[in-house]
Amino acid sequence: MTISIWRYSHLALAVSSFILLTLASVTGVILAFKPIQEKINPYRSDQFEALYLSDVIPQLRSQYPGITKLSIDANQFVQMKGTDQEGENMLVFVDPKTGNLLGKPEAPSEFFEWVTALHRSLFLHETGRFFIGLTSFLLLLITISGTVLIIQRQRGVRRFLTRIVRENFAQYYHVVLGRLSLIPIFLLALTGTYLSLARFELIDTAYILPDVDYDAIQDGPPRDATSFDIFKNTPLSEIQSVDFPFSEDVEDYYTLQLKDRALHVNQVTGEILSEVKYPVSVVLTEWSVDLHTGRTNAFWAILLALASGNILFFIYSGFAITLKRRSGRIKNNFTAEESNFIILTGSENGSTFRFAQEIYKQLLQQGKKVYACELNDFQEFPKATHIIVMTATYGLGNPPTNAAQFAIKLAARPQVRQIHYSVVGFGSHAYPDFCKFAFEVDNLLSRQDWATPLVEIHTINDKSPQEFGQWASVWAQHAGVTLDLSTDLGQDQHTCPHNFTVTEKTVLTVPLDAFRLRLRPEGPYSYASGDLLAIYPGNDHRERLYSIGKVAGEIQLSIKLHPGGLGSEYLYGLQVGDRIHGRIDANPHFHFPEKARQVVMVSNGTGIAPFLGMIDEEAGDRERYLYCGFRDQASFSLYESSIREHLNTGNLASFRLARSREGSRQYVKDLLAQDQELIVEVLKNNGVIMLCGSLAMQQDVVELLDGLCTTILGKTVSYYQSHGQILMDCY
Amino acid sequence: MKASLIKTAWLLLAFILVTPTVMQAQKAPTSKYKCMIQMTNYLGEGAYIVISLINPKGAYEKTLYVLGPDKEWYNSLKEWHKFQAKKPTNISAITGASVTGGDRAVNVLEIESSKINSGYSLRFESAVEDKKYHMKDLEVPLTTEGLAAKSEGAGYIRYVRFSPN
Repeated sequence: MTISIWRYSHLALAVSSFILLTLASVTGVILAFKPIQEKINPYRSDQFEALYLSDVIPQLRSQYPGITKLSIDANQFVQMKGTDQEGENMLVFVDPKTGNLLGKPEAPSEFFEWVTALHRSLFLHETGRFFIGLTSFLLLLITISGTVLIIQRQRGVRRFLTRIVRENFAQYYHVVLGRLSLIPIFLLALTGTYLSLARFELIDTAYILPDVDYDAIQDGPPRDATSFDIFKNTPLSEIQSVDFPFSEDVEDYYTLQLKDRALHVNQVTGEILSEVKYPVSVVLTEWSVDLHTGRTNAFWAILLALASGNILFFIYSGFAITLKRRSGRIKNNFTAEESNFIILTGSENGSTFRFAQEIYKQLLQQGKKVYACELNDFQEFPKATHIIVMTATYGLGNPPTNAAQFAIKLAARPQVRQIHYSVVGFGSHAYPDFCKFAFEVDNLLSRQDWATPLVEIHTINDKSPQEFGQWASVWAQHAGVTLDLSTDLGQDQHTCPHNFTVTEKTVLTVPLDAFRLRLRPEGPYSYASGDLLAIYPGNDHRERLYSIGKVAGEIQLSIKLHPGGLGSEYLYGLQVGDRIHGRIDANPHFHFPEKARQVVMVSNGTGIAPFLGMIDEEAGDRERYLYCGFRDQASFSLYESSIREHLNTGNLASFRLARSREGSRQYVKDLLAQDQELIVEVLKNNGVIMLCGSLAMQQDVVELLDGLCTTILGKTVSYYQSHGQILMDCY
Repeated sequence: MKASLIKTAWLLLAFILVTPTVMQAQKAPTSKYKCMIQMTNYLGEGAYIVISLINPKGAYEKTLYVLGPDKEWYNSLKEWHKFQAKKPTNISAITGASVTGGDRAVNVLEIESSKINSGYSLRFESAVEDKKYHMKDLEVPLTTEGLAAKSEGAGYIRYVRFSPN
């Protein structure tokens, strides 16, 4: 499976680092509790932020003459080192305000030391540090590639935080949590990498506090340490450590390590003897340690623990996604050259492959020669009779990565024989560009001389097994094969739960023309114009579908009588009062649009059926236009009176008739071409165009619309198809 | 009976008289010195430094202070580690933090007074993770003069100073 460079990198990086990443994450979660545990100790002075060195240093020095060093840790605990009155070494926490001793620092926990060593160096010293540093860098790249993948998935940076479409547990939470913990993980990886670079001296963190010029040291005028400017102006919170003078001698001095600089201070005069500002790299190192360990903030430490835990979940869910994706791969038993059935798949995350695989298996079991590949692998199929395209749409109506080459390949490889095709689009109505790429593929194929549509494009919302089953059953009927989809793909059973009574049937005036049939439902069935009536005239698997027009509370069908036609002969044989059994299949994608102000309805032949039902409803403030194609006036006469009536009541804004065998011999698309201003206006104003009739008519009209859309509206016809502004129900 | 009583009394008396001298022998008079180690501006991790008392024959006699808390690294102080492995003593009371480049450390050393001016010396042995090990970063003769002077180191230690505590 071809996958995008970002997805490939994301996976490759994850595979190459997951073992060490697991180790670093587990130890990371544990280590996050170190600062939390430390901060519980009551060693921090409430006054800490308010104190200056002048409040602390002289006082402590007089209280504890043996003091040699004061240091302030990340918890803002003040630690004093020196000798006590007995001359013994002393290391205690002290209250900087009062000088009270608060407690002795505990020996560093052996457990945390052990975990820290494992986290930093895997107990392998320099080698281990290198691998951990590398892992950290890989995590940084994983975070970056993951961010790009989220942006692609959400179709743009600005939509980064919008809702995520749920496909399955692993995928959904991988993305949701990825977005939530993006910043802490990014910072963990970045600071980890930085600290490793600094550790290996690839980032220069060296600085030198210049030596004191002993000849220039002044021993006067003596000042009280409380009045040293540097002490008065330096808050305690700015301090890392203070080294006290080793003796009273003027040549011994204070050394202050601040957060941004270090300096020596004359202990007699308070003069600054030498000073160095840390390079930016040192300050960044301090920040990195703060951010990486959470040592300065318990809340951040908790957040880091959660983020580290999340990494473990990403490792699990990432592999779950990959395994699932791989399971959809197909190993072909036949070659492209010898196969009659070709399944072309376009999928970004692999879910469409599972549908393709199901059809592939079914056809194979029936002894058909099937070949499945990606849309990008389109080639010559010398023996093909059927092509099935199953494709998802990625990002902003774009092709999935493994389908991006399809248009070029299609143009470059014309097929040598006529092939029937069928396009199945997979998508979600949660995205505005629903199945846009599938529509594009369908439109592209319809323009090829060698390609004949077998059934019209079908779209599957949110992997609906019912919708897929519907397509499979229609396709199988037309292709003359049987597909017995397993229950998890949920094909509708061939049941006839609905009963109807025939209330009207017209008699043919012209042989082999169309007739109208009215059925009264024998129950409160819920249905609308555009739904389908399924019947099984042979009491077997053979299903016939008819478009329903809901007229005066009854089901009205328009049927063309075919000689030997299973369905049409059965229905024509019915008499008023007869009962029939069937099933109403909801077909919501071809219901009359509720919101559109302008609707153009286009039909040829018996495709007028659903529209007759739609215009039977009150127009309200909507404008409805009807374009119909018939062979001749006689074929139209069946519907003429009801259409005239709707025109008179204003229920129908306009009506145009194209006759293909009479007069100027026009097709319905010619009428649309003449009225192109109206068509463009309707599309521009979010109106809807509905097509019902033959696939040939659909092909012609879509081609015409594509021209209008690209030249006048600047968008492809697939844009309007995917946005529900061009609805189609053709056969 | 009487004889045994007298014997017991003698024994008791002997105990009373002898015990203090034994105790005195255990606690020889010591001197405390503040010892300041000033580090050079080397780059890298904190240095592990051990301060040992070296007898006139040049052999380790006693560990006086260890700068560096993590046992994991003690083997990098090779020579001392051999001594410590042969004659393990509890050093937890004389262990402190390691020192980084440019920093200084001040600690108190407790030295038996009798060892001063008797041919003994103080050895400062240093090691930094993945850098050179200095068995004699610095060796100061344990004399009155040696303890008063500022002694320069050869490795990570820039100099060492003492002051009586």
